[in-house]
Amino acid sequence: MSAVSQPLARRRAGPRWSLWAPAALLALLVVIALAAPWLAPYSPTQQNLLARLKPPGFVSRGVTYWLGSDELGRDLLSRLIHGARISLLVAFSSVILSGLVGTTLGMMAGYLRGPVETVVMRVVDIFLSVPAILLAIITVAVLGPGLINVIVVLALTRWPRYARVAYGQTLGVSNMPYVRLAAFMGARAPRILWRHVLPNIIGAMTVVATLEFGLMVLFEAGLSFLGLGVQPPTASWGAMLSTGRNYLATAWWIATFPGLCLFVLVLAVNLIGDDLRDRFDPRAS
Amino acid sequence: MAGFLARRLAQALVTIFGVATLIFFLQRLTGDPTYLLVPETATPADIDAMRRSLGFDRPLVVQYASFLADLLRFDLGRSVIQNAPVTTIIASRVPYTLALAAGALLVACGIGIPVGIAMALWRDSVFAKALSGLVLAAQSLPTFWSGILLILVFAVTLGWLPPSATGGISHLVLPSVALGLLSMATFARITRTALLDELSRDYVRTARARGVLPGRLLGRHLARNAAIPVITVAALEISNLLAGAVIVETVFAWPGLGQVTVQSILARDFLVVQGVVLLGAFVTVALNLAADILYSVVDPRIRLTGARA
Amino acid sequence: MIRFPRQSEAIMTRIQHLLAGAAIALTVGLAASPSMAGRDRFVVDLVNEPSSLDPQVQWNPDSYYVYRNIFDNLVTRDDKGALAPEIATAWKQVSDTEMEFTIRDDVTFHDGKKLTPEDVVFSVKRITDPKFGSPQLGQFNKITDAVATGPNTVKLVTDGAYPALLAQLVKLSIVPKHVVEAVGKDAFNAKPVGSGPYVFADWSRGVAVTLKRNDKYWGKKAPFPEVAFRAVPDASTRVANLQAGSSDLGVSLDSDLAAQIKSSPKAKPLSVLTERVAYLRLNPSKPPFDKGDIRRAVAMAIDKEALVQGILGGYDKAVPEMLTPAHFGWVEGVEAPAFDPKKAKQIVEAAGPAGQQEIELSTAPVFDQRIVQAVQQMLADVGLNVKINMSDMASYLKRAQSGPESTPALSYGRWSCACQDADGVLFPLMHNSSGWSAYRNTTTDKLLEAARATLNQDNRMAAYKQVHEIIAKEVPLIPLYQSAIIYGAAKPLVWQPTPNESMFLNRMDWKE
Repeated sequence: MSAVSQPLARRRAGPRWSLWAPAALLALLVVIALAAPWLAPYSPTQQNLLARLKPPGFVSRGVTYWLGSDELGRDLLSRLIHGARISLLVAFSSVILSGLVGTTLGMMAGYLRGPVETVVMRVVDIFLSVPAILLAIITVAVLGPGLINVIVVLALTRWPRYARVAYGQTLGVSNMPYVRLAAFMGARAPRILWRHVLPNIIGAMTVVATLEFGLMVLFEAGLSFLGLGVQPPTASWGAMLSTGRNYLATAWWIATFPGLCLFVLVLAVNLIGDDLRDRFDPRAS
Repeated sequence: MAGFLARRLAQALVTIFGVATLIFFLQRLTGDPTYLLVPETATPADIDAMRRSLGFDRPLVVQYASFLADLLRFDLGRSVIQNAPVTTIIASRVPYTLALAAGALLVACGIGIPVGIAMALWRDSVFAKALSGLVLAAQSLPTFWSGILLILVFAVTLGWLPPSATGGISHLVLPSVALGLLSMATFARITRTALLDELSRDYVRTARARGVLPGRLLGRHLARNAAIPVITVAALEISNLLAGAVIVETVFAWPGLGQVTVQSILARDFLVVQGVVLLGAFVTVALNLAADILYSVVDPRIRLTGARA
Repeated sequence: MIRFPRQSEAIMTRIQHLLAGAAIALTVGLAASPSMAGRDRFVVDLVNEPSSLDPQVQWNPDSYYVYRNIFDNLVTRDDKGALAPEIATAWKQVSDTEMEFTIRDDVTFHDGKKLTPEDVVFSVKRITDPKFGSPQLGQFNKITDAVATGPNTVKLVTDGAYPALLAQLVKLSIVPKHVVEAVGKDAFNAKPVGSGPYVFADWSRGVAVTLKRNDKYWGKKAPFPEVAFRAVPDASTRVANLQAGSSDLGVSLDSDLAAQIKSSPKAKPLSVLTERVAYLRLNPSKPPFDKGDIRRAVAMAIDKEALVQGILGGYDKAVPEMLTPAHFGWVEGVEAPAFDPKKAKQIVEAAGPAGQQEIELSTAPVFDQRIVQAVQQMLADVGLNVKINMSDMASYLKRAQSGPESTPALSYGRWSCACQDADGVLFPLMHNSSGWSAYRNTTTDKLLEAARATLNQDNRMAAYKQVHEIIAKEVPLIPLYQSAIIYGAAKPLVWQPTPNESMFLNRMDWKE
């Protein structure tokens, strides 16, 4: 688990397509999400009940439905482009939030030890003994669905994952001579954690965050499937896909395009994570 | 050793107690199932009477105390939604969830392990990259989509397999595949890492230098040594499979714990949710404990972390 | 059915033998052909499994579909929805508060014992006993006494005149006194004994409830020797089951799923207009709906025909009043505000900032999200600022019944009292004593009380007519449409679904 010596990780230099290709794809999706209002040809929520379930290329009232229309006659392409925002926003925000909380608590537990370690790690154990998706479903059912709630719930259920890794890594780093020296010289805990521990564990944390990112995208989709995702009529890929499932035989495009987008996003992130893991942490499973 | 055991056991108990408390209060943050039980025409007085008869009018602390007291007697209570003891409900579902988990494990290992072996033997080749991309792709599909696609292709269009529900081993195939796809990459990866580790050992190098065929080497030594981490991951992966089962069981109408839990969460069937979550926590904690003990016995240097918690 | 512990053992053993991808091929090879459902074993896909088979413990669609075939009720409704005899062959009003029923004397329970007036009396007293804790208590607690007055007569006494008595008794199943008293509540729920066209055979929890035909049934016998009710929560899967021929009847489909099975060679949609009314409820104590004009603007902004024809595929039917033609209390010719988006827009503009206030539209995942979103769009088109708030059913119901202060400004819902009587719809939605009502109007309160307390049908109709007119003018409710229920059925099934959403197996037929 230690981030210090990895004989397997150091491999030949040169362009690493297995990292850059998916990274470029992810960057493209992020750009699409950011530029959604300018890229989308139409409003993602404007309905037209006379143009429901129309196939790709359909033209009605001067509107061209390049990727077809959905169950309320909305332009699927515009919804996909705006949906990128929601899916990415949910994943990024929940990963950052849970990563921040989890890493901070994990480092504190690993460095300070004592009662902090006991309390934090027991709470981590408690959270990790409940399947995350169940915890998320219960919490959303209680808090109510919606964009903010979904982000908060995902962060709430996933921070222990970071905490456990940060804790393990910090335990290793804390014993290193220069960290001990810094402590001996009178540096205070926050400073040591920030200056000496964090830089050493940030690689491992990035790996966890990348792997979690894909999972968060799928969790959001799963919550949408259960009717607990973002509020309609907001377009998210998960919500579009779960509605589109009912139309696979009659209007295949409604589920297929958001499904492919989700798939490409998660795959890109998983490929990045897989590569980063090789680099930083060859032994972690 | 005894001290270590006692400490870990105490931690396990604290965890179980924490899970019980968390789930108890979390669920009760907003209301109770009374509104779902009475007909629309019920008056406020009818609703109050129903709530009293269900015991949800009592203060939370009282309900919590009686829940803990029951728990100490291993009594999980009685579901007011399903009108049956929680243990009966859970017991009737467990075999199905185990069967599904076993089926999924079979799929995940059956594909993941050979892929992992190939990835290790032909390391850094385009072939290995493609394989690894493929198993990662399988992991990147939302199950509620891949599930219905499997049903439409293999059950509706081709008519090879039943679309859903139970009845025989053929009914197990599609849900096992849908669920197993999620774990293939994990197995491929761990197999690859374990094999690469072994391949770099001295005995392998010596054997290779002496001209032992790779096939014999793989069959004889490597498989045995590399199997240990793979089996460990398989044990830990079970809890992930149980979590994934939540959606797969709903799609395939598979009567396992996942399906009943989702329904119970939405129906505010507190006791069933508590029962399932406690059972899950118990299994997770027990598996972790077993793994920790095993590893501290086998190799005190190794510290284990879960694959995807 | 294969027992599962053994099956999983078999799988475990196989795990030890595997190394290669042959695993899938192996499993596929072992697969038996899909079990063919058909006439001999009729398979019904419900959404959830029944929560109870004791007809007096829980009353929800998935339970009712099943146990209604095990039990006979005191009275029933025919396929058109009119009251019809079942256990009671005749009834007459003895006084304002007493009704006497003549009980069939040729009915036996599944255990061979004869059904007597004592069983009817017992059934009434059991469900009205507050200690028994039936959620249905509120439907029957106007009945204060039940007496067996002769060898085949029973008299029911009500607390005051109770016009909806017969409508409620449609839901009263007759349970055998001797069995219930002998085995108790839990055992009876696990192994119910009734007198209906089907005999309880097996309840494999989570998997299926199996019923066997009652060959000695006194009435019309059912066509299927065995029926299995399964729980299939995902609607897409219910449709796939029908298309693959692995189920014969599936419940709760929407118009788009119905369109999907229309193209299937194996299945077809069956539909009927029910007594369920889809509606919008406005909270007049919350701005901007404290202004009557804005409420009327909402009513004028909604194009009911577009909802019904454009989205619902024409299965449902727009209604101008908060009832359906299947209800007592339906008045022909009530005029609701006509669809007039221009005028609605003018009203909203004229209201200034009040018209811009955010309006919460409360809904739950079980409702048709297409309709809710279309309503939001229609209101946005006239300049209103509507935000959808979807919460799970439990939270939705709690807020919906929380009185004027916390009831959402606007909520979508579908109402059925399963009694086909105006009293079960208008009283709870409008009267100030009900949690569902956010509307305060002493005139309607008095009208509703009067209509509930008299047996004179003309007077009742007159009162309900006035209530309908007040609703149309004051707009505390916007009735949208009479909901259709859509089932997916195997092609050979001949069946006319009923407006009260019952599933009478013995009224079905099978024609290959």
